[in-house]
Amino acid sequence: MKLAVAVQRYGADFNGGAELHARYIAERLARHAEVEVVTTCARDYVTWRNELPAGTETINGVPVRRFAVDRERDPLDFGRHSHRVFEHPHSITDEFAWLDSEGPASRALIEYLATPGKFDFVILFSYRYYHAYHAARRIAAKAILVPTAERDEVIGLSIFGPVFRGVRGIMYNSYEERAMIQTASGNHDVPGVVVGVGSEVPAAADPQRFREKFRMDRPFALYIGRIDENKGCKELFAYFSRYAATFPRGLDLVMIGRAIIPVPDHPRIHHLGFLDDRDKFDALAASDALIMPSYFESLSMVALEAWGMGKPVLANGRCDVLKGQCIRSGAGLYYETYEEFAETLYALESRGPIHARLGRNGREYFRVNYDWPVIERKYLDMLEQLRAAPARGAIEPMPGWMARRRADLPPARAVLAGIPAGAVVPQHA
Amino acid sequence: MTDLHIRSDNVDVEQIMGQIRARIREKRGVDYTEEEIKELANARLEKFLDPRGVRSDLIEQFRTKREASLPPNFTFEDTTLFETHRPFLRFIRRMLMPILKLFFNPTPLSEALHIQSKLNAQQAWLEPLHYEVMHNLVVETTRLGIEVKNLKMRLESMSSRLDFDERRARALEGVVQYRAGAVPPLQPPTASTAVAGSPLETAQQERRTRRRRRRGRKTGFGSGSGEGETRTGFGGAPAAAPSESRRGFGEAGSGPAETRGGFGEVPPQSGGSGEGEPVPTKPRGDGGGEVG
Repeated sequence: MKLAVAVQRYGADFNGGAELHARYIAERLARHAEVEVVTTCARDYVTWRNELPAGTETINGVPVRRFAVDRERDPLDFGRHSHRVFEHPHSITDEFAWLDSEGPASRALIEYLATPGKFDFVILFSYRYYHAYHAARRIAAKAILVPTAERDEVIGLSIFGPVFRGVRGIMYNSYEERAMIQTASGNHDVPGVVVGVGSEVPAAADPQRFREKFRMDRPFALYIGRIDENKGCKELFAYFSRYAATFPRGLDLVMIGRAIIPVPDHPRIHHLGFLDDRDKFDALAASDALIMPSYFESLSMVALEAWGMGKPVLANGRCDVLKGQCIRSGAGLYYETYEEFAETLYALESRGPIHARLGRNGREYFRVNYDWPVIERKYLDMLEQLRAAPARGAIEPMPGWMARRRADLPPARAVLAGIPAGAVVPQHA
Repeated sequence: MTDLHIRSDNVDVEQIMGQIRARIREKRGVDYTEEEIKELANARLEKFLDPRGVRSDLIEQFRTKREASLPPNFTFEDTTLFETHRPFLRFIRRMLMPILKLFFNPTPLSEALHIQSKLNAQQAWLEPLHYEVMHNLVVETTRLGIEVKNLKMRLESMSSRLDFDERRARALEGVVQYRAGAVPPLQPPTASTAVAGSPLETAQQERRTRRRRRRGRKTGFGSGSGEGETRTGFGGAPAAAPSESRRGFGEAGSGPAETRGGFGEVPPQSGGSGEGEPVPTKPRGDGGGEVG
């Protein structure tokens, strides 16, 4: 079977998000099929500037083909289009203009994916980007979408409805993501499965090594990821400062990752910068709990890794996906206010009453749902199912010239507000 | 913070969160969610603040102004007036520009619009900041107002409890009788005073021995003499056994106040401290059960 994995950026040193997700999936599926990664020459997700050479290379045994981006993104122009389609009534043409300004626009990449007989299936990552949208429209019969959708305004844009309804299959990251997309697009009849992604969790980590290397004597909670306001870090700093003032014997906070916003100069907040995988997993092993303060996540890989290491997670309760995962796994708590943050953090301390039980649940949740054999099996089953099933009808045609210019679409923010929120909680008997 | 009660190995996260929220409600008294606080801040600010000082519709006005659709900003350079996507037309305009400049000077116009464009961008940048500052101020002020209200309630509650405790303490003091001639309480030996073999040391040693004996027999009624008198407390185990001292007064006893079987017949004492303060008495050797 010939597979293409199409993603906006690709590289061994791209950590986090859809790019890492795509790399893991490509490398795992390469053990079972002929896989080629199709991507752009961009490194920077803000400008999509062509920084890597076009052509082919091999990364971790997987061939990667890069195509140049036609034009860089102009952030001001993109902001203007975003404001237009998110906040005001607009037309389909406006939405296309938004998609073009978002990028990464590469017509050569789309043409390559559409080459007849080249691939049996194309796995498209991140529905919101140019490559996924146009490839899904061109080769809907071969397209398997990994939406990596978050609860933001983009889901309210009308141009994505036909894509969600027209692709062959969808690999969701979470039950919340599936519920949101199905509500927004009505694609209940499209084959889909909640998969997520696995992780290379080491069998044994060395917490003592981490403590000695970074001189961490006190117990601590850990944050791993980009230190950014969009990730909820500003709120985390505010809450933790209050917590530290109230509980002098409580946990410290260790931050791992690149800082976009300044990290407060606080004796109990330790910013260690970007660490390699070994240090990261040792840090997880040494920590009492992982904190995920993000408001929007389609799937938190680092939360899964924490559960894989037997560590409980403290998540932002306003993120439906994280809250749902905490409830379903029985391996994490969540907060929405400072008071809840302080109480839950106290409850998760390793000397606390529920730390060990949540940790055990997390390990089991990871083993049953996110271990690599489980993930691989779900992908392979989906591919087999789609290969055996007859191809679906063609994707919905584009509206006519006049219809595309009629500014009668509601603001995306209003559409989003109409989509029910909340965690998907299993019903107890 | 109190501990969570998890009764089985199956952890129910929602149940735990329910317990945590219940505890927060207990602590906070009145449970306002963040949304409720924001709602209060938006709608009923005058309830918590002096309406003459703060305008309660401030946020609403800000929001209305903010939501009003602003025209998109544009970049304006000296060439903007003559721009077009049609290359031919652009060429013609450039050719005719010297002729245009014979009639008027477009440069000041371009400069003014360029500055205006910059000002627009600056204003667009500042407006959300102003809104955020104002919004946070009003929310925090409301939160503080609620907190002050709760603290006032707690203070009133604590004051009334303190009054009650004081009245009860005075009532108990009125019940206690004092006996003249009592010995002052024993002091622990210090390096300067406790010399081995000295008379004081011997006397204290003797008292300690007697106290130890009493401790072993002070629990049961009638365990000593035929009078059925039980001595619990004074000179014995100070503050060691609240249950003993409660036997006489019910819940009144806490600390070293001693009772005798029934209702605190504590003899008055001499030794300079008999001015109203109940002080320990010398253990009686009259068959009160102290000496076997």
